[in-house]
Amino acid sequence: MDGAASLAGTAATTTRRRRRNYSRRYWWFVVPCGVVVLATIIFPWVFTLYMSAHDFKLGGGREYVGFANYLKLVEDERFLLSILRTLYFTALSVVLPMVLGLLAALAFHRKFPLRGLARTIFILPMMATPVAVALVWTMMFHPQLGVLNWLLQQVGLPPSLWVYAPETVIPTLVMIEVWHWTPLVMLILLGGLASLPIDPYEAAKIDGATAFQAFWHITLPLLAPFLVVALIIRTIDALKAFDTIYVITQGGPGTASETINIFLYLQAFAYYNLGYASAVVVVFFSIIILLAMVLLWTRARVRA
Amino acid sequence: MTQGITRRTALAAGGALLAAPPIVRQANAQSAFDWKRFSGERIEVSLTANPRSTILIQNQREFEDMTGIRVGAEQIPEQQHRQKFAIEFASGRPSFDVVGISLHVNKRQVGRARWCTDIKALMADASITSPDFDFADFGAGAVEYSTQSDGRMDTIPEFTDYFILYYNKELLAAKNIAVPTTFDEMYDSAKRLTEPSRQIYGNVGRGLRNANVVLYSSFLLGTQQRDFLDAQRRLISDSPDAIWAGEFYKKLLRDCSPPGVSGFNWNECQTTFMQGRAAYWLDGVGFAAPLEDRTRSRVAGKVGYAVVPRGPANHHCAMFGTGFGIAEQSRKKGAAWYYLQWASGKANQLRYLTSGAGSPARTSPYRNEEAISQSRFSREFFNTLIASARISRPGLPEIVPVTEFRDTIGAALTSTIGGADVGNELRRATEAFRPVLEASERAA
Amino acid sequence: MRKVKRIVGNIGFGFGVLMLVSPAILVFLWMLSLSLKNELDNTDYPPIFIPNPPVWDNFAAVFERNDFVKYAINSVIVSFSATGLAILLGVPAGYGIAKMRATKAAVVILIARITPGLSYLIPLFLLFQWIGLTGTVVPIIITHLVITVPIVVWIMMGFFEGLPAELEEAALVDGATIWQAFRHVAMPLAKPGITVATILAFIFSWNNFIFAMVLAGRESRTLPVAVNNMLTFEQISWGPLSAAALLVTAPVLVLTLLAQKQIVAGLTAGGVKGG
Repeated sequence: MDGAASLAGTAATTTRRRRRNYSRRYWWFVVPCGVVVLATIIFPWVFTLYMSAHDFKLGGGREYVGFANYLKLVEDERFLLSILRTLYFTALSVVLPMVLGLLAALAFHRKFPLRGLARTIFILPMMATPVAVALVWTMMFHPQLGVLNWLLQQVGLPPSLWVYAPETVIPTLVMIEVWHWTPLVMLILLGGLASLPIDPYEAAKIDGATAFQAFWHITLPLLAPFLVVALIIRTIDALKAFDTIYVITQGGPGTASETINIFLYLQAFAYYNLGYASAVVVVFFSIIILLAMVLLWTRARVRA
Repeated sequence: MTQGITRRTALAAGGALLAAPPIVRQANAQSAFDWKRFSGERIEVSLTANPRSTILIQNQREFEDMTGIRVGAEQIPEQQHRQKFAIEFASGRPSFDVVGISLHVNKRQVGRARWCTDIKALMADASITSPDFDFADFGAGAVEYSTQSDGRMDTIPEFTDYFILYYNKELLAAKNIAVPTTFDEMYDSAKRLTEPSRQIYGNVGRGLRNANVVLYSSFLLGTQQRDFLDAQRRLISDSPDAIWAGEFYKKLLRDCSPPGVSGFNWNECQTTFMQGRAAYWLDGVGFAAPLEDRTRSRVAGKVGYAVVPRGPANHHCAMFGTGFGIAEQSRKKGAAWYYLQWASGKANQLRYLTSGAGSPARTSPYRNEEAISQSRFSREFFNTLIASARISRPGLPEIVPVTEFRDTIGAALTSTIGGADVGNELRRATEAFRPVLEASERAA
Repeated sequence: MRKVKRIVGNIGFGFGVLMLVSPAILVFLWMLSLSLKNELDNTDYPPIFIPNPPVWDNFAAVFERNDFVKYAINSVIVSFSATGLAILLGVPAGYGIAKMRATKAAVVILIARITPGLSYLIPLFLLFQWIGLTGTVVPIIITHLVITVPIVVWIMMGFFEGLPAELEEAALVDGATIWQAFRHVAMPLAKPGITVATILAFIFSWNNFIFAMVLAGRESRTLPVAVNNMLTFEQISWGPLSAAALLVTAPVLVLTLLAQKQIVAGLTAGGVKGG
C-alpha cells in the first residue's frame, strides 16, 4: 500500500550498486529511525520467538515447552485448513485486482472527457476506512433484504448468499478486497504506461499490427517490471488482510473464512493461548518470507 | 401473583433511596449507612454493550447526585468486552473498578482466578450496605448462578436471560396454526409456514458458529441428557441425545429457515424477523424491545411470546445470566459497592423489565402489577418470562475455555446446516475439544 | 462505416469506464442513503434508494450515543503524531539509506512492511501492560509507527535515489555539511515525495483498526474502533451505523479528493523508477 516507490527503492539498492558513497557519516540519518524500528519491530520479534517456545497463558504460568507448540500446529487441522484458505484468498485477491487494474490503467491512460474525475472516484476505495466500509458491505449482503441481491435480480441474475454460505464467503470477501485495492494496482501500472517509449508502437503501426497485437507484443512485455511490483505489493497486502474479514464474518460461517490472521487472533485474544499464537506468527511469517523470496526471484527473472 | 407492591410504591421506594441520605446522615454519622460516604471518589465501570447498560449509563446522573461519586462508565460490544476485561484482569492492573460479567461465558474463569471480590463480605457490613438493598428480593436461581463452587459470590446478579419463542401472530393466524408446545409441533408447523417463493420462512435462528451453540443447547436441554457435561465434568457432546438435538437443529435450520442462515447471528435474525419474513425465532428475551419498536420494526404489535417448546424428555429453556463484579485490585471497593447497590437496585431492575431491556434478577419487578399493566409490552410477554424462569437451566457449561468450546461445537453445527452428517461433525468437534477441556480442568 | 465503428467503440469505452467507477459510486452512495433514512426504510425490500425526506436523526444519534467527538480528537492526535514522527524519523532515514545504498537496512524495513500488524500486537500489548501505558493514546501512537515509519522510509528512499546527486555534491564541495546538503538541497527537491508519504501515512494510520481495538481504553479509543462499537448487542441500527461509518471515512475521502493529483503523481512517479 505504500506504493510502487517502495519496491522501486529495493530495486535500485540491490541492482544498481554504484560506487559506495564516501561517507559513513550518513549513518546518523538512520540511527533515530533505527532505534524506533528496533524497539517497535525487532523487540516484538524476539519476544514472539521466546513466547512460541513456552506454554504462555495469559495470567497463568509460562512453562518452557520447546517445540511443542510447533508440533501441535502441524497436527492442528484447523490451522492447516486456515493456511489453505489464506492461499486461496490470496491467489484470488492478487489475480483479480491485477487483471482489473491493468484494464483500468489502460482505460485511464487514454484521454477522455472527465478523466480526472473518473480517476479520482476510482481511487477513493483505496483510501476509505476498511472497517467503516465493511460494516456497510455487511448490510448490503443480507440474503433477503440486502441491496446487492436486489440489484442481481434487476439484471436477471439469481440471488447470492454472499458471506452467508461457506462456498461463497471467500469469493465475496475477495470482492471487497478487489474493490479496495484494484486502484493501487491501477496507479502503479498507470505510472508504467506513462514511461513506455513511443517508438516501438510506431514501428508496429508501420508493420500493420492490430491494437491487440501491439498490446500483447509491446505493452505487456514493457510493462512486466511494473506488473511484478504490483504483484509483490498485492500479495503482501492480501496475506495481511484482517480488518474486513474480522468485522464481517469473524471467520464464519463455520470456519469457512478463517484465514491464518483470524485463527491467530482467536488463539491469542479469544482463547488466550499466547504461546501457541506466537508459534502461528512464526510459521506465518516464514510462509510470507518464502513467498516474498519466490516473488523476488520472479522479478529477477523478469528483469533478466 | 401478589398484588402487594404497586408501581407507586416501587417508585416511592426509589424516591426513598434518593431522599434517604440526608436523613440517615442526621440520624447517625458514625456507623450508619450513608450514601455520601464515598463522595468525591471516582470509579471506572466497564460494561457490555446492550440495552441494560444503556439504561444504567443514561440514569447514571441519579447515582452521581445521590452519592457524590463520579462514574466513568462505558459499554463495548460483548466479544471485545469479554476479551478486554480478561486481558486486563490477567495483567494484574485492570483499568476498571466495576465490571459487567456474562456468567455463562466467564463465570468459571473469573471465579478460578479470583479476579473479583466476594460480595458477601461487603454485604455483611451494615455501614456500607443500604438498608433498602433487600438481598432476599433476588431470585434464588440468579443468586445460585452468581455463586461460585467454593461458595464465594463474586458478582451481584443483574439479569437472567431466557431463551423464549418469538412468533409472528399474523403468519400463524393466516394458516390457522396454534403456538407450538413441542419441538415436533414447532418443526411441522414451521415447515408448513415456509414459502420460499414469497420469501417467508417458518423459522429463523442463529447459524453462525459460536453464537449458534446457545440455540442448539435449547434443543439439547429437552433431551434426557440435557447438559454438555456429565456428572464427572466430561464432555458428552457426541452422545445419542446430543446427536438427536443436532439433527433437530439441522432440520429446523435447513428445511424451514432462510437461505444463508448458516451465517446469521442475532442481528441478521432480528432483521429478518422484524421484516415479517420469519414465523418463529428462538432467542433471548432482550429482543422484545426492538421488535416492538414501531420506528424500526414492521411486526410491532404482532409479536407473540411463548416459552420454548417441550423436548422429547424434558422441558427447559436455556438460561444465561450476567452480574456485576468488583475488581479485587480496585482501591475503591466501597464506592464500587455503592454503584452495584444502585445498579442492581429495585428501581433499575424495574426499568429493565418495563422497558423490555431484559428480565431482571430481582423478583419484585415481576410482582409490580401496575408497572406491568402500563408497560408497552403485552401481558403474554411478562407471563412468558415468569413461566420461563420456572423451567430455566444454564444453557452453556461452566468451563473456562467457553469461547473455544463455542467456536468448536458451533463450527460443527454450522456445517450441518450445509448438509454435513450430524454424528460425524459432533464426534469430530467433541474429540477436538475434549483435550482442551481436560487440560483446563487439570489446571483447576 | 468507419465513423460508426468509432462511435460504437467510444460508447463501449464509456460503458467500460462506467463499469470501473460504478462499484465505488454504488458503495459510497448507498452508505449515504442508509445514513439519511429511518430504520424502517433502511431494512425495506425492495430497497429504497432516495431518502424521502432525508432525516438527520442518524447523525444526531451517533453523537448522542457515543463520545464521538472525543474519539475523533483521539484519532486526530494519533494520526497526526504517528505521521509527524514518521516523517521526522523516516525522511532522514530514507535519505541515509539511499546515500549509503544500505541494502541490509532496506531489508529490515521491507520485513517490517511485510509483517502482519497482528503479530506485533501480542508482545507490544504485554509490554504496555508491564509499563502501565494502556488506556492512554501513547501506546496507540507507538504501534501506529509500525505502519507509518516503513511507508515513509520506503517512499523517501525511492525519491532520494531518484534525485540527481550533482547538486548535493556541489554543495558539499562548497563546504556545506552533509546535514546542510540534506536540509537545503535534497529535501526541497524531494517535496513531492514527502507530500505523498505524509498523505499515505496519515490515511493508513487513520484507517487502522486492529491496534486500537486491542490497546485502546474508554479514553483513548479511535474512530474506526468507535464505529465497530456501534454494533450494540440486541439492537441493530443500520442508519446510525452508516452515519458513523460515513463520518469516519469522510475525512480521508476529502483528503484524497483534495490531494488526488499529488497522490497519483507521487505513486506513479515511484512506479516509473521501479522499471
